Amino acid sequence: MPPVIDKGKCKKCSKCVDICTEDVYFDTPKGNFPVITYPEACWYCNCCVNECPEGAIRLRIPLNMTLVYK
Amino acid sequence: MNQSMYEADVLCVGGGIAGLMAAIRAAESGAKVIVAEKGNALASGAGRAGNDHFQCYIPEAQGPDIKPFIQKLSSFRGQLRDKKVAQVWAETSSEIVKLWDRWGIPMKYNGQWEFAGHGFPGDKLDHLKYSGKNQKPVLHREAQKRGVQIVNWVMIVDLLKEGDTIVGAIGLGTRDDKVTVFKAKTVILGTGFVTRLYPSPINGRIANVNFPPTVTGDGRAMAFRAGAELVGLDMPYKHQGPKYFARSGQATWVGVIKDAEGKPLGPFITKPNRRYGDPVLEKYPTLFEDVAASGKGPVYMDCTDISPEDYEYMVYFMEHEGYTSFLNYMSEEGIDLRKTPVEFGRYEIRINGGINTNEKAETSLKGLYAAGDELFGGIANAAIFGWIAGENAAKFAAEKKTSSLDKSHAFVEEKKALIHAIKTREGGADWKEANFALQQLMQDYAGSIRSESMLNAGLTHLRRLKEKAHHFLVARNQWELVRCLEVLNLLDLGELVFVTALERKETRGGNVRRDYPVTNPMLDKSRLFVRKVNDKIVTEWIEIKD
Repeated sequence: MPPVIDKGKCKKCSKCVDICTEDVYFDTPKGNFPVITYPEACWYCNCCVNECPEGAIRLRIPLNMTLVYK
Repeated sequence: MNQSMYEADVLCVGGGIAGLMAAIRAAESGAKVIVAEKGNALASGAGRAGNDHFQCYIPEAQGPDIKPFIQKLSSFRGQLRDKKVAQVWAETSSEIVKLWDRWGIPMKYNGQWEFAGHGFPGDKLDHLKYSGKNQKPVLHREAQKRGVQIVNWVMIVDLLKEGDTIVGAIGLGTRDDKVTVFKAKTVILGTGFVTRLYPSPINGRIANVNFPPTVTGDGRAMAFRAGAELVGLDMPYKHQGPKYFARSGQATWVGVIKDAEGKPLGPFITKPNRRYGDPVLEKYPTLFEDVAASGKGPVYMDCTDISPEDYEYMVYFMEHEGYTSFLNYMSEEGIDLRKTPVEFGRYEIRINGGINTNEKAETSLKGLYAAGDELFGGIANAAIFGWIAGENAAKFAAEKKTSSLDKSHAFVEEKKALIHAIKTREGGADWKEANFALQQLMQDYAGSIRSESMLNAGLTHLRRLKEKAHHFLVARNQWELVRCLEVLNLLDLGELVFVTALERKETRGGNVRRDYPVTNPMLDKSRLFVRKVNDKIVTEWIEIKD
């Protein structure tokens, strides 16, 4: 479920935790890897992805949101 | 539960575009300003990821005649706007656009004022294309420069009054177990649209809506509870865009809306056109239903015939409109809009109506202002009327004495008791259970097709549900508590949708009444208002003045 954190790149700076207004990362302890506490609240605004200085976050689009195309 | 108190001349509820613009203007007018924001004001509200259309009138670009622009602003998706509001919008917009440009939000494209989208060939276009990706950080910076105090992670749950006058608001920590009383001479509401009232068309994803799922009509609900007048809640509207991936910004697409055989579905364009997009999406409200019924579906957005320059233009503005996750996803999946048409669909019902405000951004309550999506405003309204609200609120505050409000106000204690109950109950319904119950009820009894008997049955059930929610909602932590309070706001608004829909005994726009199929011309110039008087819901039709 979105977002997906690359723990190899993540430096535990918590910038993603602080920027997410939906508070998907609610209750992540300071200095830890971000915890995806409420993945269902993600709005795919990409704010955490853009905020991450390490490029450690990607949003996986759930199957029931994938585009239908020819 | 901890408790604290803040004091300000002007309290802005919500740190979106409206709230930040109001804060900036109020602060430079000399007021002590606080912005209370549910999340982080750097990335909150519908404009957080960007925008690329600003509805405005710039005389040097659009010609000397302002009248057609006022006329266009006088209605929006089947709803009428106050004439003076439309006039002030048109007159003030140029100044605000230039202000944003100076602050570093690029309002020109290749050095020119560029108007495109939300119009049709021959129409006077009034949507300025701008590069709004950085708009929130810019406005946040400007607010901080002027000494605005931004208090993040606080949800305003209700307004405080003394007699008929607003004297502040009650805030709840969205991360910490804390209640904050804001003592303020004036309050400006800028909490945005109403999502999560009707079910998302995508199964199992309550947050898959084209406005942020944390904008839940909090402003409308608290304004109503405080006695302010709301308008137009009965009129349903459905937006459209990429099917299953709910996004706003349909007018950013440069393509042709076609059926399964590749035949254009509208009369406007046959080849991708960057100036108009495909206006059929906005001009044909039952397009998707009609195409499905005709057996010619699905409906596609077809950009395959786009020129390389127009493709670059579209993708550039998609990025500024806040489509970055969408663009990343398409790139990862190898979906190329130049090679394949993608399906479009209609999203859930939403209510465009909201808090009634005049040209000064005043509500019907003294000391209470509102702007932006509190009343089907959009980004331009948020910017312009946020600014106007800030200016007028600061003036009002300068002449007003400080109230005697203290933090043990009876209403604060009542709210604290409710919050405490939700957090400490042994068992009951969580926010999602209550939210889903409300959504299915809204969809089935106050959907696009309505009748008196269905509306009455639905209203009875909603009132039972509301009563139960107050007594059985449970939250395991602060995050869930906030969602519970949002659901209680949505229940209040749902009730108003039913009450006002019962009053509209006609078919108009998206409101189809099986028992009243005629569009009543006697209501062409009227708007339906609702407010609380002595704990009763009162509706009133008022004709728009010329």
